[in-house]
Amino acid sequence: MVPVGLSLILLQSYFWVPSYEEQSRGNAGRLEEFINASIGDASILNPILSADSASSEIENLIFEGLIDRDENLRFRGRVAESWTVSEEAYFFINTAQPAPGSGDGDVEALVAYLQTLRNQPASLPENLQGAFGNIREISLVPARTDTVRRQQPAAAGREAVDLTIRVTAPPRVKLTLRDVDPNLFAHLAEVLGPDYFSSFQPRRYVSVPAPIAQTELDLLAKDLLPAVEHNPVIEFRLRPDVKFHDGREVTAKDVKFTYDAIMDPKNLSPRVADYEPVKDIQIIDPHTVRIVYKRLHSPAVGTWAMGLLPEHLLNEDRLRQEALRTGRDPAAFSMRQSEFNRRPVGSGPFVFREWKSDQYITLDRFAEYWEGAPNYKRYIYRILPDLLTQEMEFYAGTIDAYGVQPYQVARLQQDPRFQNFSGTSYAYAYIGYNLRRPPFDDPRVRRALAMAIDVDRIIDFILYRQGERTTGPFLKQTEYYNHAIAPVSCDPEGALKLLAEAGWRRNADGRLEKGGQKLQFTLITNSGNDTRKSILAIAQDAWKQIGIDVRTDLVEWSVFIKERINKLDFDAVVLGWSMGIDPDLYQIWHSSQTGPHQLNFAGYRNPEADDLIIRIRQEYDLDRKVALCHRLHAIIAGDLPYTFLYVGKWTAVLDRRIVIRETDPGGKDRFRPIQPTRTGNYMFYFNQWTKLADAPQFHQ
Amino acid sequence: MLAFIGRSVIQKIVTLFFVSVVSFAIIHIAPGEPSQVDPLNPKFTPEMVERFRQAFHLDRPLYVQYAFFYRDLLTGNTVSWKDNQPVLHKIGERFFNSLPLFIVGTLITWTVSFPVGIRSAIFRGGAYDRSATLLSYVLISIPGFFFAYMLIIFVVGQFQVPVIGMQTFGMTDTPWFFRLNDRLWHMLLPSMLGATGGIAVLSRYVRSQMLEVENQDYVRTARAKGLPWEMVHYKHALRNALLPFVTMFGLILPGLIGGSVIIESIFSWPGLGRMAYEAILARDYPVILTINFIAAVLVLIGTFVSDILYVIVDPRIRL
Repeated sequence: MVPVGLSLILLQSYFWVPSYEEQSRGNAGRLEEFINASIGDASILNPILSADSASSEIENLIFEGLIDRDENLRFRGRVAESWTVSEEAYFFINTAQPAPGSGDGDVEALVAYLQTLRNQPASLPENLQGAFGNIREISLVPARTDTVRRQQPAAAGREAVDLTIRVTAPPRVKLTLRDVDPNLFAHLAEVLGPDYFSSFQPRRYVSVPAPIAQTELDLLAKDLLPAVEHNPVIEFRLRPDVKFHDGREVTAKDVKFTYDAIMDPKNLSPRVADYEPVKDIQIIDPHTVRIVYKRLHSPAVGTWAMGLLPEHLLNEDRLRQEALRTGRDPAAFSMRQSEFNRRPVGSGPFVFREWKSDQYITLDRFAEYWEGAPNYKRYIYRILPDLLTQEMEFYAGTIDAYGVQPYQVARLQQDPRFQNFSGTSYAYAYIGYNLRRPPFDDPRVRRALAMAIDVDRIIDFILYRQGERTTGPFLKQTEYYNHAIAPVSCDPEGALKLLAEAGWRRNADGRLEKGGQKLQFTLITNSGNDTRKSILAIAQDAWKQIGIDVRTDLVEWSVFIKERINKLDFDAVVLGWSMGIDPDLYQIWHSSQTGPHQLNFAGYRNPEADDLIIRIRQEYDLDRKVALCHRLHAIIAGDLPYTFLYVGKWTAVLDRRIVIRETDPGGKDRFRPIQPTRTGNYMFYFNQWTKLADAPQFHQ
Repeated sequence: MLAFIGRSVIQKIVTLFFVSVVSFAIIHIAPGEPSQVDPLNPKFTPEMVERFRQAFHLDRPLYVQYAFFYRDLLTGNTVSWKDNQPVLHKIGERFFNSLPLFIVGTLITWTVSFPVGIRSAIFRGGAYDRSATLLSYVLISIPGFFFAYMLIIFVVGQFQVPVIGMQTFGMTDTPWFFRLNDRLWHMLLPSMLGATGGIAVLSRYVRSQMLEVENQDYVRTARAKGLPWEMVHYKHALRNALLPFVTMFGLILPGLIGGSVIIESIFSWPGLGRMAYEAILARDYPVILTINFIAAVLVLIGTFVSDILYVIVDPRIRL
């Protein structure tokens, strides 16, 4: 009796549940909602604290930064209306070095000399005219005396020491530049003498009461009084009409507050490293903020896409009040504990409404958004941890977009009910070699290994063609990627020839040998990734074909990282990197990053590449930067420290009824189909999207 | 009796202590770091990894970490590393999501398995018994997730109604009666799925218990003295066959936590099992350990309750 009754109660409920058709037909509001799905829930909705993709997806809708990227992945203003990048450069007067115009150490004369050169560029050789024309102002910073406290870290055989250092700095020349000029001092040296800067002796101006080693003192002095200094300056002009969701205006104060919050050690922000180069941030007026950097570091511009936090909701007073209200210790209470992270307030196009953990997050459009409110009234982020469930929900119309799995692409692209978009992802797969170990230290061997593998087969059979070949570490959608470089083509015969050049010849069994030593190594990857596992098998097979004895191993992810990668204990690995838009390769490719626990675990060292990596970091001019990147790409593609495999392709399907709605100046609505940007981003015009009741027909 | 209760409580506290030590050790010995500490992210400098480890006390010796953790747990101050929410609050919220699923599932399991198992035992060897046996083996052998997918595809394909989640998405402005039924409907599939496995297993137990008792002398005697058929089976046999299930009843309590990870994930049900699973993936130690601790407490309470129940039900046992 009980089971029958219970089942009846449960089953009868069926008659009360709306079917999908009824949902969209009787429910006009559904057309004004966009429902997205995600496998994982957000963790913390605060742009300076979160480090997971689900959180940042939501944060991008709620918060807004000073700038972001446009259709072509170049910067465009958001909260900032405009911005300028200029530079302040300094050098110390080097009294030891006679300089033209200054006699022996007459500082004012030197400044006057430089000023004349600037005013009469025609008198200069051609290569210096640009550099001097770029100087807006030359002034003198008088000598000063300072006391600095530093802690000298503990070293072998001694404890950390607190030092009180007396610095009597000589006068300094300050040059205000229109544009950032990384080569400024090289050019000035042509006028002032080749050793003018390098022979500056900071040691002479620094005195320490406590005895410390001479070399340490030299380093300290160099750090305190660098002969030359580049201080790039970014000045953002904020739009006057941008508001937070609670109606307060976004001002320069909020920009400074966001920066201070990131740098506050209490908050444990994972973005500290991005902002470390900032020297000073000044509020010029409520709508102008000026950021001065310690050194040339062009990736820093992009960090201002960081969502701005509302100072008036998170300042010290507010946090203290919250701590007292919730009965916690105000001293230990930080932004990390604040309720703000569960109901954030930003200035982006959508306003936070509700978050049910592991179920959904809903956002409403922000009616007062400066660029005009989005067409959708509501954005809903559903958490559906199972892919098949997501697919079923998409077919049924309760989610609006679905990220297609590679094996489904062929089928779903044909489906007339949906529109589909695809593009390449911001990540590449590679086989990396441990260049510290033979035979990988020989570039010919590396090229031969790359030639033996048929990457197209990997793309065809493992990725169901949902991939594209890549030849280097830059993002394919950006200008930095050098399309002139052809991928290594599959040529096992050629590979054998190259190996023979390197001394590896086939023995009687067909195995490659050199001086009685067999060519053998182990290729590893992490377990739990089927694609990598299949690549492992294909590579092993391809290399066995030409006589290399390859073993393979799958290692659990955390062990893989901890014991193999971090300790540099591997021959070759199959792995992937995800890429940012900025072309900074320092951590993964610079030779200073080859130690244990560092990211250049392949151990790639090339002085020319090192130099280019640094210059790319210091270059603020897009065209010059692109040229440097193309050169670097060519060098890496030539050295082949990795066998670059592919970048994955993603495909997303959307309901056909979703279109772009624009209002023309006459106030009439015009519709057009959704078109991805040149870089493949189909969500770029999301704020103009709308869903129609019936699928539209567009005529050319 | 009182002496027994006292002894058993002390024993269980000692056991709980060992459970806490072992589970703490296992989780910390297992490789991997909390997801906040990501050594392969270029934005993470070693200093920052170190700062996170300090904030989570991961740089301290294990026994200090143990003391920290259980101090926080017993004062109710544990905080999840993932989102800084108090763990007990999170667990409480999920508990009430899992509870209806658990209650309905358990009710269905127990109320269906008994009639099915008893009938199989009484008519053993018959067509009914054999088909029930076949069906239970089929149900035991089909993996739960596969069965769930089949059911979802079938129901969504045939009836075009939503089955995922705790309620139909966006149904907010409807009368309470609709919403109640909507919730019931969403409970139907997951609880049925949870129950089918249970029914298949439990009805087998019931059958074999019944069979064993049916062969006892006193049942034969009852039959011989001409008692009515129902009396023999339901009074003399069944009552005695029920005894071992008292023990099982105590042990279903912990099923509240671990019983439904897969079903909850497939149906996007925001329950306890799914939270525990996601916490393990993210190495969110406070959540894992708290759930583990609660599970251990539930097991101990369960065994304790079944011990007491046994005494009450079975007059042969005296303490």
